[in-house]
Amino acid sequence: MDKIIDVEKLSVTFPTEQGRVQAVRDVSFHVNEGEILGIVGESGSGKSVSMYSLMGLLPGTAEISCERMEFEGKDINVCHFPDGKEYAAVMEGIRGNRMAMIFQDPMTFLNPTMKIGRQICEPILNHTGLSKEEARNKALELMAMVGIPSPETRIDQYPFEFSGGMRQRIIIAIALANQPRLIIADEPTTALDVTIQAQVLELIKYVKDTMNSSVILITHDLGVVASLCDRINIMYGGKIVETGTDREIFYEPNHPYTKGLLSCICNPEEDDRELTPIPGSPPDLLMPPAGCPFVDRCGEAMKICKLRMPEAETLSPTHRSMCWLNEWKKRQEK
Amino acid sequence: MDQQKVLVALEDVSTYFTVSGGMLRGKRTVKAVDGVSLEIREGETLGLVGESGCGKSTLGRTIVRLNEPTAGRILFEGKDVTELKGEALAQFRRETQMIFQDPYASLDPRMTIGEIIREPMVIHGLYGTEKQREEKVVELLQTVGLKPDHIRRYPHEFSGGQRQRISIARTLALQPKFIICDEPISALDVSIQAQIINILKRIQRETGIAYLFIAHDLSMVKHISHRIAVMYLGHIVEVGESDTIYRTPMHPYTKALLSAIPIPDPIRGKNRHRIPLGGEIPSPIDPPAGCPFCTRCPDAEERCFTQRPQLSQRGDRAVACFALEE
Repeated sequence: MDKIIDVEKLSVTFPTEQGRVQAVRDVSFHVNEGEILGIVGESGSGKSVSMYSLMGLLPGTAEISCERMEFEGKDINVCHFPDGKEYAAVMEGIRGNRMAMIFQDPMTFLNPTMKIGRQICEPILNHTGLSKEEARNKALELMAMVGIPSPETRIDQYPFEFSGGMRQRIIIAIALANQPRLIIADEPTTALDVTIQAQVLELIKYVKDTMNSSVILITHDLGVVASLCDRINIMYGGKIVETGTDREIFYEPNHPYTKGLLSCICNPEEDDRELTPIPGSPPDLLMPPAGCPFVDRCGEAMKICKLRMPEAETLSPTHRSMCWLNEWKKRQEK
Repeated sequence: MDQQKVLVALEDVSTYFTVSGGMLRGKRTVKAVDGVSLEIREGETLGLVGESGCGKSTLGRTIVRLNEPTAGRILFEGKDVTELKGEALAQFRRETQMIFQDPYASLDPRMTIGEIIREPMVIHGLYGTEKQREEKVVELLQTVGLKPDHIRRYPHEFSGGQRQRISIARTLALQPKFIICDEPISALDVSIQAQIINILKRIQRETGIAYLFIAHDLSMVKHISHRIAVMYLGHIVEVGESDTIYRTPMHPYTKALLSAIPIPDPIRGKNRHRIPLGGEIPSPIDPPAGCPFCTRCPDAEERCFTQRPQLSQRGDRAVACFALEE
């Protein structure tokens, strides 16, 4: 399988009045063609910031350092473009075209003063040579595809005339307008009811299958991840602490944070058990700990965990975890 | 369970709002809660679930009289709360408390944590002296897992989970018998949600407080609730023990709702069969004449569109559906 996204050693820092917030710290990841990659983490773990940097959507104050960032084999590493205009031109051609994003809040994403039709046509007119007439027909097709009833009348309506679930469908239609190779969905269903959530997730899976695109799904809902994703990255304190296939993460979790997450959710299909919450709260990224970011909440922390960040341990070709316990176990076996 | 005394009883409670329908159309009525009968027993947690706009928050607010009911009776320990006045009303307000969804909006940013927790005691004149109140505040902070030296800090210094602990401490200051939790964990991170749930469960074990737990996270509701009530468009469509409802839902809406819960297990989650639910929830301004669910129900018959099914006992639960009556 080819990699559609390949990122190595990405760090993002925001200078603020209180100090430098190290939102993303030295992460490497990739997305294979045709797969759904889930990114799981708490608020402030760096999951959205790392994805926004792929799209070139971070504010100008962000300090980005990165060794490699490639999309379909093409260099999109902002550090390799000393000329900001050149980078902007490259990203203009990709954003909303080859790479598209679905945002969390369906109300703030859409322009309340523009008709739905115009908002769906915008990326089509920007990136293809289609005429207005053709773009409108394409928009009608897209609306039918995402399941909006009677698109011919709905296309001339304004966002306030749509419900939350319908608005999220329109956002998906806009993201799909140019058949993107990669769709980044940032908490696409967090604002929605569970019945609508299920419909939207099925829609994302359906369009992925029909267009053979790849999807990055950012979420904190482990149920959503389990039912949709092929591979999962677990982020904590600006780091990817564990990565693996869906089964590796859910059935053989290695990192204490991943284990902790799985023990503080409940499965409604199983008998009730006591939830074991993770004590404490996430680290302050103004002063991230020198060692493992999870050390203060970890029940198995050792001395070294406070001092140094562990290297990623390869557990299988797809499964990697950053935890000193792996090193310790290896030494015990020797 | 059955022997437990009924603490709160709702009898045919309705809450309507009047809205302006625009020029020339006059006033219209939103039937947010429409003829709800429910019981909440001492020391139990009743989970109230349903989609946004189904009236579950309005029902919660109506019970504590933040919204006045349009019709029906609300009995708290056998007394009709809609007729309470003066001292009796003050006592009712002390014994029923509410925890809100957004801990960023429900705490006054200009008051210290100590002042926030002390305020209800002052209003209700509890714990005589200033010193006794101070001691109680410290005790409450420890109950919810915060430190005594947090007392002089301000809400902005706390995270969402800690703020929700402060909200819980404030409600406990009055030693209530009944707390309405309106989506208390939906603004929190997963690892913090379990902390709050465990605190609520521990407090219930220790003090026997009853909860009405309103939420749209159906997995957590099942975990915390003894019984579940499913609400749709202002009506209760099914009530029963939470295990019974989750294992064998009977009402077509409950079935569809529960089948949409994402299961945190890759094999089960990916092979799950979801019962599709067409269309959208109708407007409570213009609800269907018959069963509220008839416009989306896969099994709807002719009479479902004209007559309204009543909630009636069917074995181990109560359910409102004609198809189940034979």
